Amino acid sequence: MSLDSWAEAEHEPATPSAPRVEPAAPASTAADGPPPSPAVHTVELAKRYRRTVALRSLSMTVARGEVFGFLGPNGAGKTTTVKLLLGLARPSGGEALVLGAPAGDVETRRRIGYLPELFRFQHWLTAREVLQLHARLLELARRDRRADEALALVGLADRADDKVATFSKGMQQRLGLAVALVGEPELVVLDEPTSALDPVGRHEVRAIVRRLRERGTTVFLNTHLLEEAEQVCDRVTVIDHGRAIATGTLDELLGARASVRLRVTGLPDGWWRAYGALGTWTAEGDWLRMAGAAAGAVPELVAQIVRTGGSVEAVVPEHQTLEDRFLELLGAR
Amino acid sequence: MSQTATIALLTMREALRRKLIAAFLGITIALVVLSAWGFDRLSHSRSLSSGEVAVSVPQALILFMFMFSFVVALSASTISSPAISAEIESGVLQSVATRPVRRAQILLGKWFGLAAVLAAYAAAVCALELVVVDVVSGFTPPDPAGAFGYLLAEGLVLLTVGLLLSTRLSALATGVVAVALFGAAWLAGVVGAIGADLHLASLREVDSVARYILPTDGLWHGVIYALEPRTILANAIGHATPFYASGPPSWTYLLWCAVWVVAALAVALLVFERREL
Repeated sequence: MSLDSWAEAEHEPATPSAPRVEPAAPASTAADGPPPSPAVHTVELAKRYRRTVALRSLSMTVARGEVFGFLGPNGAGKTTTVKLLLGLARPSGGEALVLGAPAGDVETRRRIGYLPELFRFQHWLTAREVLQLHARLLELARRDRRADEALALVGLADRADDKVATFSKGMQQRLGLAVALVGEPELVVLDEPTSALDPVGRHEVRAIVRRLRERGTTVFLNTHLLEEAEQVCDRVTVIDHGRAIATGTLDELLGARASVRLRVTGLPDGWWRAYGALGTWTAEGDWLRMAGAAAGAVPELVAQIVRTGGSVEAVVPEHQTLEDRFLELLGAR
Repeated sequence: MSQTATIALLTMREALRRKLIAAFLGITIALVVLSAWGFDRLSHSRSLSSGEVAVSVPQALILFMFMFSFVVALSASTISSPAISAEIESGVLQSVATRPVRRAQILLGKWFGLAAVLAAYAAAVCALELVVVDVVSGFTPPDPAGAFGYLLAEGLVLLTVGLLLSTRLSALATGVVAVALFGAAWLAGVVGAIGADLHLASLREVDSVARYILPTDGLWHGVIYALEPRTILANAIGHATPFYASGPPSWTYLLWCAVWVVAALAVALLVFERREL
C-alpha cells in the first residue's frame, strides 16, 4: 500500500485482530483547500536490528490537532517508532509520512518538537543558552524572547541562567519539554515526558498537553503510564511486540467492554439466563454482574426487566480502566 | 547564520567552557617556561663555542617543537574523539539532529569549530615558543609562519582522523587509535631516516608510503624545514635523525594532504549519514 493512498488506508484496521480504526476528524480544514494531511501516517512500518525485530508492521494515522497516546510495555517498539518518525533511524520496511512529508524530511523538522526519552543537553550551557541554541537552529525571529517564553512555560524562568549541569533530572526533563515546545511546532512528540517528574510536575505537564490541544497542536505521547494517557489522550494505539494490537478512542477501547452490577427483585430465580446473549453473567449474593455489555445494552435490559414485572433497585456501572484493558489486551495477544 | 556556523560556534564554546583550551594552554606555558630556562643555559654555556651554540639552539628548538607537535596531536585527538559517538551515546546529539539541520552541517560545523580551536592553540604555541627563543637566545627561525602552518596542518589531519573514527568508535577508542596512528606515522618517519642513512631502500619506502597513508609525519617535516637555519641544511647536520628535513613538502604533497582531509571528511560523512541515532 503506498502512502498516496493514506486516505483509504486510515479506514482499515491496523491489524486483523485490532479493533476497527476510526481516525479522528482533523482539527481544522481549510475552506477552499484540500484537507490537511494527517500529522502522522504509517503503512506497514517495520524495523529490524540484525536478528531482532523491533517493529513488525505498524499502520496508524494520527489526525491533526489530536493528543495521540502511543502505549505499550517496555520493549514493545515505541521508541523505535518515534525514531523512525523523526528520521533518527531508517525503516527496514513500510513507509511513514509526518506532516505530509516523508519521515525525516529536514525542512519538516522545523515544524516538529521532540522530547527524547533520553533527555540530555549540553551541560556546560545555561538553560537559556540551550533554548537560544534551538531557537537559532530553528532560525526563529525574536529568539531570546521565544527562549524565555518556553522556559516560563515549563516553570524554569527563575533558573534560566543556571548551568544545565546543576539541574536535577526532573528539571532537565522540564528543559527538554521547553526545547520541544520552542518555536510552537505543529507536532510535538513526547517520549515518556513525565518519567523523571514528581506528581506536581506530572500534573503540570498534563496541563501543558491540554493547552497544546486547545491551540490545535498535535501531540504524539509515547508513554507506558496509562493513567497519563487516560487523562489527556483523545485516541490511543496499543502496541506490543512491534505490532499494533488495538487502536481507537478511549471510549471505543473501554466503553465497548463495560460491565454493570444490578440488584433486581420481583423476578424468579435465574431470570437473567434469558439475557445471556447480552454479556457474561455472574451471581454475587443479592447482586448480579454482567460483564462485556455492548454500548446501549444496559438501558434496554433495565426496560425489559421493568416490562416483565421486575424492580430494578440498583444499577452500578463498572468502568474498566485503561490499565485493565491494557492488561487484557496484552494477555490476549 | 547558517546551521554549520551555529554548530561551529557551539563547538568552540564547548571547548572554552569545558576548560580544554585552558588546560592545554596551562601545560604549554609551563613547557615554554621550562624551555626558556633550557635555551638560556644553552645559549650562554661556557663549554660550547659560538658555532656549536648556533647549531644546538635550532636543533633544541626543533626538539621542543616536536614535543609541542605531540601536544597539538594529542589535543586534536582529544577534542575530536567525543565529537560524534559520545554525543550519540549521551543523547545530546539526538536533540540537535531532529532540528532542521543536515548531518553534513553537524559534521562540518564540528570540524570548523574544532579546527578554529586548534588553530588558536597552534598559533599560541608557536608564538610563545618562538618569541621566547628569540628573546633568550637571539635565534629567529627562517620561516615562523610556515612552521605554524605545517603544525596546524598536521593537527588538522589528526583532527579529521579523530572525527572520522568518532563516527563509529567510542571517545576512548577514538583517542587511543588516533594517538597510536600518529605515533606509528612518526615511527615510519624514523625508520625512513635510518633507511636513508644506511642506504636501505626498503626502509625508505616505509616512510614514503606511510607519508601518503597518514600525512602527519610528512607535515611535521615541513615544520622542521621551516625552523632549520640554512647553514644546517648546507652542511646536512643531523641528516640521519628524525629531526632533519632536507627540503619542504612539495606542492603536490600538500595538495595530496588537502585531498586526504577532504576524502576523510567525506568518508566520515558517509558513515555518520548511515548511522542510526
